[in-house]
Amino acid sequence: MRRILLIWCLMIGGFALSMRAQEVELRAPSKVIAGAGFAIATTGHGSATFYLVGPNRALKRTIQLGQEITISGNDVAVSGLYQAIACGSPCANTTFQVLPSAPARLSFLLHPSRVPVSSGNAINATTFVFDRFHNTVLKSAKVDFHVSLPDGPTMTRTGQTTRGITWFEMGSTAKQGRLQIIAAMGETAEPRVIQQVASDACGLRMTAVPAGRYVKLETSAIRDCAGNPLPDGTIVSFTKTDNAGRSTIDTPIKKEKATAQFELTGRARISVACGVALGNELEVGGRP
Amino acid sequence: MKTIFALALIIATAVLLAAGWVQAGGMKLRAERSAATPEEAVHALMADIQAHNWDHAYALLDHANDLQQADFVREVAGSDGSLRTYSSLQTYEIWPVHVEASHATIRVRMNWSSAVGSLDEVRDLSVVQDGSVGRVVWPKPNFANVPLQVLPVNYLRWDVIGRRSDDWGAGSVDTPQVRIISMNAVERPTGIVILGEVENEDTVPAYLNVSATLLKADGSQLAQQDTFDAIAHSLLPKQVSPYRIDFPGYRLQDVKSVRMDARPLLVPASADPVVAIENQNIIKDALGRSILKGSLLNQSGQVVNIAQVLGAFYDSSGKVIWVSDGYVDQALMPQGPVPFALDIPPDVATRVHSYHVVVNHYAAPSV
Amino acid sequence: MKPLILASTLFASACLLVAHLRDTSIEVRAASLPKVILNAESITPRAIEQRTGEMVTHNYAQAWQDMAACVETNRTDLVNDYFTGEAKARLTHLISDQRKSGLRTHYEDRGHEVKAVFYSADGGEIQLEDRAQVEVQIFDGQKMIYSSASPRKYLVLMTPGADRWYVRSLESVGDETF
Repeated sequence: MRRILLIWCLMIGGFALSMRAQEVELRAPSKVIAGAGFAIATTGHGSATFYLVGPNRALKRTIQLGQEITISGNDVAVSGLYQAIACGSPCANTTFQVLPSAPARLSFLLHPSRVPVSSGNAINATTFVFDRFHNTVLKSAKVDFHVSLPDGPTMTRTGQTTRGITWFEMGSTAKQGRLQIIAAMGETAEPRVIQQVASDACGLRMTAVPAGRYVKLETSAIRDCAGNPLPDGTIVSFTKTDNAGRSTIDTPIKKEKATAQFELTGRARISVACGVALGNELEVGGRP
Repeated sequence: MKTIFALALIIATAVLLAAGWVQAGGMKLRAERSAATPEEAVHALMADIQAHNWDHAYALLDHANDLQQADFVREVAGSDGSLRTYSSLQTYEIWPVHVEASHATIRVRMNWSSAVGSLDEVRDLSVVQDGSVGRVVWPKPNFANVPLQVLPVNYLRWDVIGRRSDDWGAGSVDTPQVRIISMNAVERPTGIVILGEVENEDTVPAYLNVSATLLKADGSQLAQQDTFDAIAHSLLPKQVSPYRIDFPGYRLQDVKSVRMDARPLLVPASADPVVAIENQNIIKDALGRSILKGSLLNQSGQVVNIAQVLGAFYDSSGKVIWVSDGYVDQALMPQGPVPFALDIPPDVATRVHSYHVVVNHYAAPSV
Repeated sequence: MKPLILASTLFASACLLVAHLRDTSIEVRAASLPKVILNAESITPRAIEQRTGEMVTHNYAQAWQDMAACVETNRTDLVNDYFTGEAKARLTHLISDQRKSGLRTHYEDRGHEVKAVFYSADGGEIQLEDRAQVEVQIFDGQKMIYSSASPRKYLVLMTPGADRWYVRSLESVGDETF
């Protein structure tokens, strides 16, 4: 009886030992920096299957329990939650967070590409800060915006990121031309250029010169209210109304002026418009 | 025996040939080509035009007005890559307007099948009796006789250069700023029509598509369509185009709201050619239909192969109540006026207070 | 012989029925979008339009639905519909790795409480904080090697396309982030 009991105890003990031999434990740092290699400590004996699953990773390899598992920086380049799993029998796992590394890249959006002059808060500059692995840098970072205006000196505005984003708005100035903004953070700089363009035509006027049975029309230099000439190619509409009906010519501005020619068959009324801006009206033709 | 057999074969062949000729409409064609009466004369002419049988067609005409065959063919068959060169006469209707012993006026309505759909043309043709044959007096076409000259063309041209980047946050250029300046949903016998105007508010040319989505009371989509060719797709800076979107078979009572979407693209463009739209007038045509007629004058030096005319019609409050579009089947030669006409529905014509016409043009690339 | 034939027929029919039921249930799962509740009360610098908010909510839910389908079946064909940029590249890489390793991931999506925190003045970008209730199970073949039902937090960046909003960045973040 004693012998049987002893054998039985030895069996139970051996079984327990063998179970203990398969107990696996993984220990990883709770936080890791993206791109930085590290090691995961393991306990147990024998071989096991190791898995590393993250936002863009799903690795599987065979390991020896009791030894450290080396994780290369490339395998944890993307920030986020990772699961390290080792399956002997049963499986054990640990979870760790990979944090973004130091800021290294800027995504800088500057809108709109063409902004009418003298428009309040029309220009929007938004910057996103990333590390070299395209992870959003959550820690607040300082971004400088160097603004070069067409009609003024360069000025600098500073923004602090919140959740990786900083932004600002500004109005366009009265003079048309190239506006450059450089978003800079440390060694990284991203330049962007937009155009300040003339706004709607202001004080649109035309003159008429009879030329035989035709009348030649020409506008004065077409400018906006701040004196900026409207760009060449902008459409100006001339409309003639007479007994024969209505005639229209949509013609583009060339060298700040628009010209057109109508055939006159009697008294006519001629008007001019550019977009929503209306110009003067003329009565031409007929008997004086 | 052999002779009888041979004769029988010849007779049988002749009978079969005659039957085939009759089956193929030979009798009808003979009647059409007989040209004994004014209607028959016009029928014969139309049949030859349909068959592109220009020599025979020209032979049926009265040559008193010194019409040259080349001019006749140029007008009827088209030239210079015009829409008419890609068209064929599909059907025609003929009816007499005025008939006397020696001359008659015959109205013909021709339906041309073209690359952009069917085009209607109505003409009143004079027919004079020449013995037992009627001869059609085809009006001499008035082609513009522009003297040889050098025309400098220095209108602005826009090009888009550089690589289009898909990298978000990298340098890029915004698409053109366009604005739908008006929208009016109307119910017609055929369905719902969305009308309005859109403006390119930017300083660069835009290629534009406008679409509309009809929404039900619960906010779900009932139907979606876009303008197809009822818009001038290429808009230069500050240019305004009318648009029309058709929803056949739908009723306004089923629609809670309409969602509009204008999608512009940055494209290369040229400010040339400039096409003047002259002598616009709303009149009744020969069939009593209200039309807006006028003429197009190509003021540049390049040929405009295909021109499309779009007209927005406004009521007294300035609201867009109809948008018509039509293609001109003649090429616009430099400095030569070409007539156009736009249909206006009868119920709309009574409410039209003013209108605005734009020209869309397609030119074959120059060599 | 007859009983054998009858038994075989019954067995085959049962297998087909089970397979069909399994397919139906997947379809039912795929057809229903995860629940997303969007709160835009503290959004800056501009308010979000009603219609935009609805679209963002709907498209974000569709993105999660597609992602769950992709990582479960290791298919990349759904990745293009609601993902772009870095988020699309990372998801594609994950699926590729899973295929090589024989792994798959199952998401049991129990809903998202989303707070919109940034909407750019020109309407080109929107940033969201997502508190997600997602149960994650990882399988190696048929063997489940990991399971977790802990709530997760995500920082999301969405940008507009021609007819929808795309997820450009989907980053899981620690509890202390928000």
